[in-house]
Amino acid sequence: MTALADAPSRVEPRSGALSGTRALVRVALRLDRFRTIIWAASVGLLVLMSMNALNTRYATPESQQARATLISSPAATALAGPGYGLDDYTIGAMTANEIGLWIMIPVAIMALLAVTRHLRAAEEDGRLELVRSAPVGRDAPVVAGLVAAFVATLAVGLVTFAGLVAGGLEVTGSAALAGGVVMVGFVFAGVSAVASQLTAQARAASSLSMAVLGVTFLLRAVGDVRGPQSTSVLTWLSPFGWAQATAAYVDTRFWPLAIGLVVTAVLVGVAFVLVGRRDAGTGLLPERLGRPSASPRLTGMVALTSRRQLGAILSWGTGIVLMGGFVGLLAGALVDFIADEPSLADMFPTGPNGAAAGALALYTVFLAVTTGAYAATALGAARAEEVATRGAAVLALPVSRWRWLGSQAAVAGVASVLIMLVTGLVMGVTAASSLDGGVDVAELVGAAAVTLPAVGCMLGLAVLLVGLAPGAFGLIWAYVTYVFVVGLFGALLPDGADALSPFAYTPQLPAEPMDWAPVIVLTLVASSLVVAGLAAFRRRDVIG
Amino acid sequence: MTDAIHIRGLVKSFGPKRALDEFDLSVASGEVHGFLGPNGAGKSTTIRVLLGLLRADSGDVSLLGGDPWKDSVSLHRRLAYVPGDVNLWPNLSGGEAIDVLGRLRGGLDPSRRNELIERFELDPRVKGRAYSKGNRQKVALVAALAADTELYLMDEPTSGLDPLMEAVFQQVVREIADEGRTVLLSSHILAQVEVLCRRVTIIRAGKAVQSGSLEELRSLRRTTVTAALRDTDGAIGALEGAAGVHNLQRHDGHLTLDIDTPSLGDVLARLTTFGVHSLTAHPPTLEDLFLREYSDELATLGVVEGSR
Repeated sequence: MTALADAPSRVEPRSGALSGTRALVRVALRLDRFRTIIWAASVGLLVLMSMNALNTRYATPESQQARATLISSPAATALAGPGYGLDDYTIGAMTANEIGLWIMIPVAIMALLAVTRHLRAAEEDGRLELVRSAPVGRDAPVVAGLVAAFVATLAVGLVTFAGLVAGGLEVTGSAALAGGVVMVGFVFAGVSAVASQLTAQARAASSLSMAVLGVTFLLRAVGDVRGPQSTSVLTWLSPFGWAQATAAYVDTRFWPLAIGLVVTAVLVGVAFVLVGRRDAGTGLLPERLGRPSASPRLTGMVALTSRRQLGAILSWGTGIVLMGGFVGLLAGALVDFIADEPSLADMFPTGPNGAAAGALALYTVFLAVTTGAYAATALGAARAEEVATRGAAVLALPVSRWRWLGSQAAVAGVASVLIMLVTGLVMGVTAASSLDGGVDVAELVGAAAVTLPAVGCMLGLAVLLVGLAPGAFGLIWAYVTYVFVVGLFGALLPDGADALSPFAYTPQLPAEPMDWAPVIVLTLVASSLVVAGLAAFRRRDVIG
Repeated sequence: MTDAIHIRGLVKSFGPKRALDEFDLSVASGEVHGFLGPNGAGKSTTIRVLLGLLRADSGDVSLLGGDPWKDSVSLHRRLAYVPGDVNLWPNLSGGEAIDVLGRLRGGLDPSRRNELIERFELDPRVKGRAYSKGNRQKVALVAALAADTELYLMDEPTSGLDPLMEAVFQQVVREIADEGRTVLLSSHILAQVEVLCRRVTIIRAGKAVQSGSLEELRSLRRTTVTAALRDTDGAIGALEGAAGVHNLQRHDGHLTLDIDTPSLGDVLARLTTFGVHSLTAHPPTLEDLFLREYSDELATLGVVEGSR
């Protein structure tokens, strides 16, 4: 008896669906540690920079009230919040109403990606099978993935809280706002846990979760426009609505956060039930079959690239065009805003056509840089084709290097042109409606068109990197960030800081008069970059 | 007959590592040529140079009479390639991928395509992301074999295929060989090469260490003979240290020995004088030839020759 009791136990005492959880949690946290630090640091920086900007720009009650007028317009409300404290628009009220949403969205994306990465990608790549062959329960990996997402969300929440307090805001309101950020992260971790049981691919699971994010974003936007201060039912259907209903710094209350926590618990419970109902490696939604043979239109490099890129073109295009529409709708409110608070007029280029033209010109540059970012992702996708060896499979056919990369650059170029022209059109129509005349639609289409050579320069640089220095393709993102920063804050930076941005030379229509010389030069620069990139690609080794 | 592939003194380095080091290879038109070597020996690098994906540092490379780097597009009209590790477009079905590749080639014969899909038992409706490794390989095989070309470059083309599909593959390769097409078959499935190829090249650390017909290579090696004799001890006494005799051993009352090909007749004649009850002889397998080239490496890995 004693001998038996002394013998080391061979069977693990825990053999249920949760065994091995602790070890998996440790692995998940370790895998995520750098990612979490980078997310927390970026969000912290975003909070500090926003606080700094608000504190310097809106130091006086007059400027704060001018801001309140601007933000109460429907287009601004859709991109901000329910508008608590508009009658006494303190920095705190402003932060909760306008900044909060833009911290919650990245945190929601971080949380949902963390969950699909730990749950679905691990299963898709077969890693989970190896883990599950060890004495690990069915629920343990789900717990580990959720814990990793929750820990990352809490870390970002803490940094947000610290940033708000460091920015001079009071503690209780900051706790409510940061609590809202954490709650939104938790809800989307739960959404993603359920989505990860439905689809068999990580990408499909994160797309499904992103779709839920998009819908809840719209519900809150429409709800807040229809009923300010969270009086619309639609607002209460969205986690963003619950978080903003805390009315931080105005009438701080914590109970709306409880809704999110209950919903998170329900979603997690549903995910566990679904895990028990499906086979490893499968999703509950059936995998759809494709066509047994290709349609006649799917012929050639351009058709293949368009098919591959269609999703990216549509999502970037929709986003940019919608932003253009919002900018147009805001133009009227902006003109009033600048009239109320002339000290803020230096934010926008001034010209013969007045404040509205200046604002529209600035935002056109912003939208064009975003279109350039799309073009960079399109060339990044070409590089990814090569790394995945699909490039070699095509280049082993009678397809020249020139044609392979040139077609992909051409599709990116044509898509960029279409996106900018449609954006100019939509911005022109909405601006004309919000400004009661004074804006010519054709003029704004022209303003969008004139930025295209600069967009082409960004695309050309991406082609050059793919051709010349594919290992350093990531540098394109440093350049996109640089162009973005000098484009938006050029007026605040030292002279010459924007010398390397093509947008520094583009005439800013409609604020400035048209100038053909730089447009022609930029077109030549863009074409030379593309040709140089293609020539370099012809000369180098391709990954097989 | 001219050579479909002719490589002399090919050098290709990746940074400090010499992947190919004065490598030679000749593949005659119309032959199925086995290309053997373990992972990392330089097989895939050679094929990528032949495809014009990699540029040779030095050496002469001629493919179908052209320069694979300069004339890649026109040469690619005349060849088809099967990679060993196939990645498909995630959102295209297998059938769509086959058609897209075929049309980039300039069109493919739909009846040949459908015949191959049927023979390889491929479901062409499945999306690229949902195929197993073996099924992705089938997509690449169908896309390449449906092409009507004179040369096929295959880089471990059947990795991930089950034995039934392996048999289908061998049958299809025999058919295209019977039509006079050339195949360079890189593989480490030695049984496959032994069945399909009359000539082989063995590559080691970027150099060709053996090249020739299987017959020639075998004749350079020893035949293993196992005999049950009336007088085993006498035979051992007589043959111990005899010219051309190696690894003389007694096994369960049987005698086994390896005999150099030139001495084969001589030694067998002497064996018969000890009263043969039974005798089996087998020529060296490709595996023996291959492992012999790598015997020192096996020793480093702790594998004792003959104990496998």
